Amino acid sequence: MRIVLSFSIAKMTYLQPHRRPYQQFARFGAVIVGVIVLACVVIIIFAPHLFSAVFTSMARPFWRMEFSAMSGSLKSPERLLAENEELRNRLTDLELSSETIDFVLAENQELKTLLGRGNDVQTSTSSEYMAPIVDGVLAAVLKRPPVSPYDEIIIDVGRDYTISTSSLIYAVGNVLIGRVVDVLGTTSKVRLFSSPGERYEVLIGTSNTPATAIGRGGGQYEAQVSREAGVRESDFVTNPSVSQRPFAQVTAVLSDPTQPFETVIFAPMVNIYQLKWVIVR
Amino acid sequence: MQNNFGLRIVLDILIFSAVIHGWWFIAVPLALSGAWKYAYFCEFIIAGIIYDSLFGLVPGNGVAGYAGIILSIVLLLLVAILKRVLRR
Repeated sequence: MRIVLSFSIAKMTYLQPHRRPYQQFARFGAVIVGVIVLACVVIIIFAPHLFSAVFTSMARPFWRMEFSAMSGSLKSPERLLAENEELRNRLTDLELSSETIDFVLAENQELKTLLGRGNDVQTSTSSEYMAPIVDGVLAAVLKRPPVSPYDEIIIDVGRDYTISTSSLIYAVGNVLIGRVVDVLGTTSKVRLFSSPGERYEVLIGTSNTPATAIGRGGGQYEAQVSREAGVRESDFVTNPSVSQRPFAQVTAVLSDPTQPFETVIFAPMVNIYQLKWVIVR
Repeated sequence: MQNNFGLRIVLDILIFSAVIHGWWFIAVPLALSGAWKYAYFCEFIIAGIIYDSLFGLVPGNGVAGYAGIILSIVLLLLVAILKRVLRR
């Protein structure tokens, strides 16, 4: 009996497989993962919009729901009625203010005409700058920084509207903030001008000091200017190659007495973290 | 085994929810814990692909547009190596 038992133990030890099952399983798993990665790489190379279109159409209902919740569409009827009433009152106030603005604009135009300046040059005080938005496509902002590390926003219009990858994006107040970089079926990706590494030639301040603005992400830009330039906080920044309208405002001037240059930090005149609607042109 | 599978499904749903909202800072720890607990947690790579499809893969972004995919593969490999070393 003892002999048989020891024999069976010896046999069991001897018959143990050389390659353990989990090693085979590991190899199988690694092959599966490799195949998935390879397939994805091939698809991304040959059909770059496929994944974006599929996953965006899957995520869009969730984003729309989140947007509706954030914009108050899911509030109670009483609350919506109260808000409606309040907005009507504000609209009346603003209409009164608007009449004053119209008067000032007309006066401005008259003075420009007297001085020999028509509408041939767009400036921040021209009538076009103050005019209400009549062209372009209104788009809801579905996703905005900082959830996306790519410093971009996702809007709810795509190929279903006449927009392209060269379309510019304006925030409320006609402030230029970015451009469309990818157009999908019902959504588009917009890269903000403040994306890290983006460079623009800009003019800063009342003296129109030329500088190279470098995007820092999160709606912030920085530029180096000479200390003698006299740039101050709240000065306007323009980008003549894109638009004559001011698209940013100086928020800080960092000065080091040992350096001949100072660093100017500026940001768009709208808070990109609170964007809800934009205009695509 | 049944519980493990159910937990994995719950973890996948949480990761997917975080990814479609762009909350990578939630998705990454969840995916790391999944990679630590389960063998071949390929959902990590799939989450990276979905994230880049939604927010990255923008022409002109270069390799930076593939940050999600690259990061998920690297982290999954690191966790696999770490597990192998620590559980030897």
